[in-house]
Amino acid sequence: MSKKLIELKHIKKSFGDLTVLDDFNLYINENEFITLLGPSGCGKTTCLRLIGGFESPDEGSIVFDGKIINDLEPNQREINTCFQKYALFPHLNVFDNVAFGLRIKKVPKAEIEDRVKSTLKLVKLEGYSNRMVSTLSGGQQQRVAIARAIINRPKVLLLDEPLGALDLKLRQEMQYELKEMQRQLGITFIYVTHDQEEALTMSDIIVIMNEGNILQIGSPEDIYNEPKNRFVAQFIGESNIFDGTMVDDYLVKFCGREFKCVDKGFEENEPVDVVIRPEDFDFVPPSKAKIVGVVDSLIFKGVHYEINIIVDGHEYTIHTTRYREIGDKVGLVVEPQNIHIMKKEIKQ
Amino acid sequence: MRRLRPYSIPYFIWMAIFVLVPTILLLFLAFSDLNLYRLSAFEFRFSNFTIFSEPFIQRALFNSFFYALIVTLISFLVGYPVAFYITTLQEKKKKFLIALLILPLWTNMLVRLTAWERIFSANSIFSDVFGLQIPILGTELAVVIGLLAMYLPFMIFPIFSVLDKLDTKLIEASKDLGASDTQTFLRVIFPLSLGGVVSGFIMTFLPSLTTFALPEVLGWRKVPMIGMEIQKKFILEGLQPFSINQGALISILIMLFSIASFVLITKVDKEGETLI
Amino acid sequence: MMVQNQIKSRVRKTSGLLITILTFLFLYLPIIIIFLISVNNSTRGYRWEGFTLKWYQDLLFNVTNPSSDLRIFREAIGNTIWVALRSTFFATLLGTIFAIGIHALDKKKRVKMMVLNNIPVVNPDIVTGISLMVVFSLLSFQLGESTVLLAHIFFSIPYVVLSIIPKLKRLDPNMYEAALDLGCSRLSAVWRVILPNISTGIIGGALIAFTMSIDDFVISYFTSGIDFENVSIWLYTKMKNPQNLNPTLYAYNVLIILITIGVILYINLKKDRKEKIS
Repeated sequence: MSKKLIELKHIKKSFGDLTVLDDFNLYINENEFITLLGPSGCGKTTCLRLIGGFESPDEGSIVFDGKIINDLEPNQREINTCFQKYALFPHLNVFDNVAFGLRIKKVPKAEIEDRVKSTLKLVKLEGYSNRMVSTLSGGQQQRVAIARAIINRPKVLLLDEPLGALDLKLRQEMQYELKEMQRQLGITFIYVTHDQEEALTMSDIIVIMNEGNILQIGSPEDIYNEPKNRFVAQFIGESNIFDGTMVDDYLVKFCGREFKCVDKGFEENEPVDVVIRPEDFDFVPPSKAKIVGVVDSLIFKGVHYEINIIVDGHEYTIHTTRYREIGDKVGLVVEPQNIHIMKKEIKQ
Repeated sequence: MRRLRPYSIPYFIWMAIFVLVPTILLLFLAFSDLNLYRLSAFEFRFSNFTIFSEPFIQRALFNSFFYALIVTLISFLVGYPVAFYITTLQEKKKKFLIALLILPLWTNMLVRLTAWERIFSANSIFSDVFGLQIPILGTELAVVIGLLAMYLPFMIFPIFSVLDKLDTKLIEASKDLGASDTQTFLRVIFPLSLGGVVSGFIMTFLPSLTTFALPEVLGWRKVPMIGMEIQKKFILEGLQPFSINQGALISILIMLFSIASFVLITKVDKEGETLI
Repeated sequence: MMVQNQIKSRVRKTSGLLITILTFLFLYLPIIIIFLISVNNSTRGYRWEGFTLKWYQDLLFNVTNPSSDLRIFREAIGNTIWVALRSTFFATLLGTIFAIGIHALDKKKRVKMMVLNNIPVVNPDIVTGISLMVVFSLLSFQLGESTVLLAHIFFSIPYVVLSIIPKLKRLDPNMYEAALDLGCSRLSAVWRVILPNISTGIIGGALIAFTMSIDDFVISYFTSGIDFENVSIWLYTKMKNPQNLNPTLYAYNVLIILITIGVILYINLKKDRKEKIS
């Protein structure tokens, strides 16, 4: 059983008139790659900064390894941060940047040399010791920032959207490397991003946040397959969301038709949100289909086609490798376990 | 925008005329018996160097360097903390204080000098209103304090300018890696502010070195300084034979320091951002 | 641990504040004296003899019977302001053109030009002064008003350039090309697109140029010869007996400060209003 390493309890944090977090609660386990995912302004970066010690909560407590650390300065916490724009020291070369934390702790020279060497090897920057950081590319600077943080063997590494400035291919490469690093080092990684694909790729646990609230916590598969509400469904992956009604247990009605599904426990005729992922639809001959419509648009996305189909005035978006012409009449089918029912949100 | 380059060519010519030509001319003057006011045949010689053997000139050189150094050091010890403190304030207060700092520089330097003269007089409006007497006119102390009052802001501005532009994330990163406030200052903040420090040193040292009206007013010409000697050689005794030549030689010496300063500044602040 | 840090932080803040306040008092002491003399009801600066605005009145309004002293002083003021205005105009004009030209150069040449540009800024006044004096003599220029004007333009241009270059750097490099693309000639593109966007730099530079010219002493001293007097030179000749200095001089100084403050505030307010609208 993992033990709770960090706990945020009843945290309130405001900046001037803006309350970013209110009665916010979250716990994070040891040796976990956990991602805070959400749109700009949702409070994920604030959360990270509170853990790192760069902000203090107005109310509530931050517990680390069983102790309350609200009052500890960043330099007193066993936590290191990888900043968004790297924050490398421009007046020091790669070696001195990476060695910075060790020098502060007065680690003996020989040990510093060893550890810097092996850390640079870990981030694939061997031989770059004497380079000035301004001469490095974005990806290389990113690795120096990571090296600088992990060489101190922190219990927790905070990463604030570290891959934002990199191009796609590099980003994907780094995502894989970061995941590997976390596994090898056995450190808890707390990662902040607004890119849902990134979150799905790397995390053990994803925390979806919006406007200071946690909307769902779970593994990537859970969140993708069983989104709890409309926001999560729309934020992660692409979805078709329809208004529906639960006619009975395991039976839902939407777009004028009834479908078997795998959810129960709702009230009779309770209005619900129905979520179906675009890749869960399949083409069948129109005569055999419950859902029949006309192809409205078609975009080639490399991996698949994205096809919009109009069915009785509703728009269905599907992903398929099978080609259809615009104007074709098509039939769609979806399996009951791919129809997800979510409680409707009460609009405040 | 490359097509707009030609706009810079006349500037090059202009600067060549007003910077390079005089320097060459001064070199000629210093190393020969050329008469500035009656250009005619001249010959190169080193006789002008005898000026450096005069004890008065030696004293003036020593004083100027010594006091300029003291003033620069004190300005640094006072100016750095002030610049640092101001950067910690909020945006509005920051701008206000900097504006306040610039204000005295808009008054005519000579007028401020006369004000200091009043302050250092035994009997003046200063002593009357403030009830305090600081009769130190004619002393080295007056010259040093006067120089401080004139040039301290020139130490503060470049340092402030550099500190203000410092990325706060670097300080956070330093703390994140375990450094205390002091360690952060010594290892991160100060090294990154060196550009401003060097600028400040130069903008304080050079004017202090070459000042001539100040030692006249506050020092009553009793404190020999090299600026006054140059003034003498060029203007007050300008028509005496070889006076300008000797003055030119002394100026060349001073200019060596200027040149050393440029080299330093270009190493440290290529685009001249700290100079305004 | 926390308390220790708080105490340390407090001590640092208070000592920072203290040293700053002391510094400001030190730097403002002469300003206070200047102000006091300008409103002191006494011709000799020995004692405080009551508040008066008569020096201001004398300076500004006395047309019927100004003393010869005052007349010369006013002439000096006139010279000073007239030189400052022309010097500012030309320095700003030339400085803007040169700044644009420098900005368009490639990196190596630009750095070299900037070094050249910064020489008059770093050079002590006295060195610039005698350099110019020597050049003017060589070119057989008679030392007087025109040489002073030339000298002022010379040392003002670098400040204008330094003020404009950072704004040029912030410009989108494609803007100029966009203007050309839309049909502007080179000149027209500069006029319509570049200049409006560096206007704050131009105005800032002009202000600095004006201030440097108005307050200059050393360079004017060396390049003015015998006949021409601006305020600084006039003052210098009279400084042997500071007590006898006419207090209108101080009134003049206070007025200059107030006007400069006024202009700065006005510009800042205009900027704020512009920002609010956009």
